[in-house]
Amino acid sequence: MARLLVQLKLRLLTNALRSSRAAKVGFVVSTIFAALVAIGTFVVLAALRGQSASVDQTAAVFTVFAFGWLILPLLVFGLDGTLDPATLAMYPLRTRPLAIGLLAASATGAWPLANLLGLLGVLVGLARGGLGMVVALLAVLLQVLFCITLARFVTTGLAGLLRSRRGKDLAAFLVIPIFALYEAFAQVVPRMAAEGKITAATFAGIDKWLRWLPPGLAAHAIQDASTGRAGTALLLLGLLAAVIVVLGGLWFRSLGRALVTVDTSTQSSALRGAPLPFARAGIRGTVAGRYLIYQRREPGSIVRWCIIAVVMLASSVSTIRTPAYHVALILSAILGAGMLSTFHANSIGITGPGFGLEATALTGLRSLRGYFTGHNFALASIAVPLLVAVSFGLAAFAGHPADGFWVVAVDFGGLGAGLAISSVCTVTLAYPAEKRVGSPIPGAASGAGGQAFAAAICSIAGVALATVPVILAAQFTHSVAAAVRLPVLLLCAAGYGIALAWMGTRIAARTADQRLPELYQIAARSKL
Amino acid sequence: MGEPAIAVRGLRKSFGAKEAVAGIDLDIAAGSLAGLVGPNGAGKTTSLSMMTGLLRPDAGQVRVDGLDMWADPAAAKAIIGVVPAEARLFERLSGAELLEYSARLRGLPAGEARSRAGQLLDVLDLTADAKRLVADYSTGMRKKAALGCALIHNPSVLFLDEPLEGVDPVSADVIRRLLTHFVGSGSTVLFSSHVMELVEQVCDHVSIIDKGQIVATGPTDQVRGGKTLQQAFIDLVGSKAGDGEGLSWLGSSSS
Repeated sequence: MARLLVQLKLRLLTNALRSSRAAKVGFVVSTIFAALVAIGTFVVLAALRGQSASVDQTAAVFTVFAFGWLILPLLVFGLDGTLDPATLAMYPLRTRPLAIGLLAASATGAWPLANLLGLLGVLVGLARGGLGMVVALLAVLLQVLFCITLARFVTTGLAGLLRSRRGKDLAAFLVIPIFALYEAFAQVVPRMAAEGKITAATFAGIDKWLRWLPPGLAAHAIQDASTGRAGTALLLLGLLAAVIVVLGGLWFRSLGRALVTVDTSTQSSALRGAPLPFARAGIRGTVAGRYLIYQRREPGSIVRWCIIAVVMLASSVSTIRTPAYHVALILSAILGAGMLSTFHANSIGITGPGFGLEATALTGLRSLRGYFTGHNFALASIAVPLLVAVSFGLAAFAGHPADGFWVVAVDFGGLGAGLAISSVCTVTLAYPAEKRVGSPIPGAASGAGGQAFAAAICSIAGVALATVPVILAAQFTHSVAAAVRLPVLLLCAAGYGIALAWMGTRIAARTADQRLPELYQIAARSKL
Repeated sequence: MGEPAIAVRGLRKSFGAKEAVAGIDLDIAAGSLAGLVGPNGAGKTTSLSMMTGLLRPDAGQVRVDGLDMWADPAAAKAIIGVVPAEARLFERLSGAELLEYSARLRGLPAGEARSRAGQLLDVLDLTADAKRLVADYSTGMRKKAALGCALIHNPSVLFLDEPLEGVDPVSADVIRRLLTHFVGSGSTVLFSSHVMELVEQVCDHVSIIDKGQIVATGPTDQVRGGKTLQQAFIDLVGSKAGDGEGLSWLGSSSS
């Protein structure tokens, strides 16, 4: 059974490789990334040799890997056919050989191998002497086994939920902290390290509580064996093995249940019976109401808004407390509106086959103008408070809260441009969207990457260009009294933004009127 | 006989080198419940998409109640209802919101839209699930919700692509009765289907399409020619299935 399931996993990997060019590129990139992670982890762990806080940092690295194994399978549930016990439930398989086979399948692939090889860096960094080396080897093997068992236990226990619509929605939100962590590591940590606020000593003492977690047990077993405390080392390894056995037992029972349990988690979702919001305000109100509901109920939409906020904050973090804070404020405003435009530059493709309902009902320029205006109303009703709040927040953090006013003027100009560009792009560069496992945001379908890239470039560059007049107006009126300057600037910027958005809807409606059938055909090819 | 409710002339569509619809002519009288049957890949969905303004034809003309679909799509689309093959709807709306949204897009006043949505949900046996998200609906419920969206503005001609595919017998019966009632009031229905028994049972007019061409069309009894519609269909289209030779192991008790 183990051999069969390992073969199945390998076949799934090679079939994914054959399915499309995008899958091929994804596989190669993923494998290269896994190799880099393995090398990077090995080097980081090996470099701890001789450092005072080496065991603390090793425990931290082990814990990060365990956390990754806990989170990532939830995101890619469905990508790996061996993760979902339901796919094997119809076969006459006994639970024990199935469990062993599934464990073996989990250990197959570039990432488990990268995990194992990377952690072997402890042989250089932490282990000392023959006993230390042997214990380190055992500790790494147990750590990898713990990670795999933990991932299996969680995915099996949540399999019913993850198959359901609601479970997929919940899993989608995991992207937000992961993206925020990524931005923190990419933007905040390097800066703090450069400023000397993060050093190796920062990790000292971190294992006061990490040491009692299974990854910490593994790290401390190596430390103890290397410092001559063989008994304690073996005790810690035994404790880790016991945790794995208990976790395995729980998984074993969970697997037995999962094979004969159906998912019923989506049967209880009822909404309140309120009428469609703004439905009395014609087509534009009706469309705005539908679009607003989607911004609230669709996890991908919520994730997009969170990403916009994170990007606005992260892009400014390195310069916001410096004399060049103006640049950070402007960059944040441009990226906020630019990201909004990028995310909505294919709104018809993202709507998917459901657009057929709209395509058969929308007739003529007037209704199409209402359609795009409705979209813009819905987006602006969320974007304006979000951008204003972030801009004022950043200005206050910079120590110049009054500067928030002119940045909001930049927001207004950028937002109008962003809405105009997204409306025009959605009818001129429309492409089928495809939801991929592990990502709550639909991406471009195979072969449509060019349009997606063009829309993103148009969005960011267009917004940047459109904000220039507002930035110049703010700059050249600096000497005018703020009580006069700021209200005028804000009003003019708002009017400018509204004019841009209005022009965008006119152009988009005219174009859509000419090619509504073609737009429907594109939307119908989306797989959401 | 007056002008047909649906009149198709020389409709063509190619995708690259493949000619999906090779110049079809079709007349469906007003008040008809007409079926369009054909094997997979025959051109049913492509034809219906072109008739409903969702796919631009390479050539040909489609008139619905005298209105040219491609010369004046705004006027023609206002009088039709469409249920596409895959009832992919707005998954994050509730059933009630979906029908109301559809009605408002069609220009119905908000109060009327709500009222009609409630009545249709009742007839379609969806009232108990009206507040649930469409994402959580079964296939049959989706088809019924899609039918409700297509009917809510009271179109004079209704196009349905495989309306009963994957639908349970109870839901199928609801849809069938609703279509019969709709046609009884003088409206027209054209639907594609694989279910010959259904077409034979409910349709007064049937057209058989194969390789992008209409190979038979007319009153159901005339197309059947004294046989079952299933047999007439197979005779016209040709059976390609083997008889299972070479599967000597299949069906025996030995492994």
